[in-house]
Amino acid sequence: MIGRWLMKKMIDNRKETLRDVFLQFQQSTDFVIYTFKTDERMFKIAYFQTLIDTDRLNRDILPSLTKSDCKTLESLLTEVSIQDKEIIKSPKDLREKVLQGFVAVYEGKDPSKCAIIESSMDSGRDVSPPENEFSVAGPQEAFIESVDTNINLIRKRLPLAQLQIKEMKIGKITQTRVAVLYIDGLVDKDNLHTIEQRLGDVEFDQVIDSSSLAQMISDNTMSIFPQLVNTERPERVASVLAEGKVAFLADGSPEAVFGPTTLVEFFSSLEDYYLPWQIATSVRLLRFFAVAFSVLSTPLYVAVLTFHYELIPRDLLSTIIASRSNIPFPPILEAIFLELTIELLREAGARLPTKVGQTIGIVGGIVIGQASVEAGLTSNILLIIVALAALASFTTPVYQMGNTIRLIRFPFILMAAFLGGVGVAFCLLVTIVHLLQLTSLGRPYMEPIFPPRFSDWRDAFVRLPFNWMSSRPVYLRPRDKGRFNFSRAVQKHDIDE
Amino acid sequence: MDKPIKEQYLVSGFLTLFLIHGMQVGVGVLGFQRDVVKVAGYDAWISVLIAGMVVHVVIACMYTLLKRVDGDLISIHHQIFGKWVGNVICFFVSIYFVAKAVNVLRTYIEVVQVWMFPDLPTWSIAIVASFFFYYVVAGGFRSVVGLTFLGVMIPVAFVPMLLLPLEFANFINMLPILKHSIVELLLGAKDTTLSFIGFESLLLYYPFLKNRDLTQKWAQLGALITNVAYTVIMVVSLAFFSEDQLNKTIWATLTLYKVVQLPFLERFEYIGVSMWMFLITPNIALALWAASRCAKRISGMNQRSALVIAIVIMAVVIILLPTRQEVNQFSNWVAQTGFYFVFVYIPLLVILQTIALKIRRGKHEQTTNL
Repeated sequence: MIGRWLMKKMIDNRKETLRDVFLQFQQSTDFVIYTFKTDERMFKIAYFQTLIDTDRLNRDILPSLTKSDCKTLESLLTEVSIQDKEIIKSPKDLREKVLQGFVAVYEGKDPSKCAIIESSMDSGRDVSPPENEFSVAGPQEAFIESVDTNINLIRKRLPLAQLQIKEMKIGKITQTRVAVLYIDGLVDKDNLHTIEQRLGDVEFDQVIDSSSLAQMISDNTMSIFPQLVNTERPERVASVLAEGKVAFLADGSPEAVFGPTTLVEFFSSLEDYYLPWQIATSVRLLRFFAVAFSVLSTPLYVAVLTFHYELIPRDLLSTIIASRSNIPFPPILEAIFLELTIELLREAGARLPTKVGQTIGIVGGIVIGQASVEAGLTSNILLIIVALAALASFTTPVYQMGNTIRLIRFPFILMAAFLGGVGVAFCLLVTIVHLLQLTSLGRPYMEPIFPPRFSDWRDAFVRLPFNWMSSRPVYLRPRDKGRFNFSRAVQKHDIDE
Repeated sequence: MDKPIKEQYLVSGFLTLFLIHGMQVGVGVLGFQRDVVKVAGYDAWISVLIAGMVVHVVIACMYTLLKRVDGDLISIHHQIFGKWVGNVICFFVSIYFVAKAVNVLRTYIEVVQVWMFPDLPTWSIAIVASFFFYYVVAGGFRSVVGLTFLGVMIPVAFVPMLLLPLEFANFINMLPILKHSIVELLLGAKDTTLSFIGFESLLLYYPFLKNRDLTQKWAQLGALITNVAYTVIMVVSLAFFSEDQLNKTIWATLTLYKVVQLPFLERFEYIGVSMWMFLITPNIALALWAASRCAKRISGMNQRSALVIAIVIMAVVIILLPTRQEVNQFSNWVAQTGFYFVFVYIPLLVILQTIALKIRRGKHEQTTNL
């Protein structure tokens, strides 16, 4: 509604003057206009006091006005030592600039032109270590809420003329600055066009964060799987840009989004490249095992104990039966109860302040778990399984994917209760078919599994040594394929020579 | 070829291997031993090998047909029989693929009912499966191929399990080799038809392959893998079971899984039956895709609506097959039709095509002479 009202307003004011803009601004109390009188002239100075830095105004702008040779607006601009300044005539520009924290200087009641000088207040925080994507090794910088600082963090890592940035404004109300980053000559033009076109087509009125923008431009908005990666680590963005991907940053959002991506990439952490490849590979494989365990363990427990207890050898079965013998519920209720408890704890932990959160974790994890076992509501074994599954789901390096994994477990559990192993297999099949049909910026999501591209396997489930990765990933279709010249990198020499 | 397929819908040539192999291995392999052993006894593995050889020949025949026309089965039929007769034959081919899908799905439901859930109503699975297969096939050929690829790769992990029963094997059973007559061996080979057919869908997806002229090696390799797999399973079964047991065991492969014992797992056939879903869904999806593609090509209708019709027919027929006897009867029909379609009709088509091309060339020369 506000959007329509704004549109109407814009059409009404087609012939508005600069004065109309000032009049409109004057309706808010934080807008200031005052007359600055020098010996010869009367300048009017207008700005939002909440948007500008008063120190800079007093230090850099006002002294220039008093100088004797400052007679016109043009000469004023040459005097002022601030870089971003200009003379504008259109009301639209004026509105935009003043709202960005520019100071407007003009003469007379109904000016035809107006000098604007940048003097905005920088209220952002300093660059701090990453909190969500923590890593032990590697750089400890994270993006902040200012897009310029974020671009600076990336540019410092990629000192290239080919690193190009395109800016656009998205959101009718929020007018969020969105910067698309890519390395010219590496990036596939199709990917770049897709992302630019989709960002340009967004008509939503408010863009609060880059992750909401990422959802709007996903290939399949009905899918539970994230199709673009969010990251708060500048070096991750720099590294994917160097592979030939496209990234974008939104002002006010401490996360960059990049694509195209594949399912496998969500399970690779940048730390994999800081550690020796053998360790990195084992950790990666561990993560894939963790995903499989996290999704399948509870459903399999439900399936086996509801229908196929013959699957379990006798000795093991007696242990399980002993732990379940006093429990009045069928396995499905037991499992759902425990899974929901864990999810509750997680959600409560995420909402509470850090210090309280830890207490809740201990109270919830130990006390509730122990008590529910002693009360005979759940079995020990299921408690272990569910806790391990929750733990395993947190090994996923990308937060969005972790959420997905925790959620898709529930349909699996339900189907396991209806159809046992067949139900679990069916859910797995549906998931696989869904993944096969997903795309990220039009590129297949399951690559390199399907379509099978074996050269990309070097950096998928495993992470092979760097000297084996002489070419960039195939699925990005980089215009320059080679990372380095393999034949020069590997020098053959005989024993003792 | 009437309209070339767009580049983005093509799939790599080497995936032919998975398409051929994945389409052959389905429900047939769960219990093909019994039919063969009935006729060929302990020489059954020779029958399997013979059938495998014939498959290679038929694949070569199909490539001859397809290369000459550079299109699909419909183009071949149009070339040989003209538009009307060609369309009528293709209509029956379309029905045949639906019947294949019905057979595979109904047999699988039967297996699930016998081994795991005796009370499970057939219609419930049929309806759920209908939606699932619509989702798969509506994703296009690439989605079907992806499923086929994973449907081959994932169950590979379960193949070594079939070797575990060798602990109790008795290879002496198979001696002396060749105590059955050639006729019996050939009849045994004929009875393996149901497990080997499926690769004829190549006739429809051929235009979707990249570098399709060069894919024959992959197709032959796929068939070879099937042959080796079937022969190994047959040998293992013959070594493990006695002839009488095999005659009475309907799903011998599943019974083999029953023997597998791991420290934390017994009765492996439950997992086997569940995971078998990964093997049979590509079968059904590709058959439904082939049926709908065929219908689209002959009538010009939307493939989506053709798919819906095919799936509805499949669901209805499945529900109309309530008991083991009917399922068996239906299986036999499909096997018979498949046998004549694949092993008789396709080689015949090669001859007919050669003649048709000769006549046409003759005519062409006549006109040019005039």
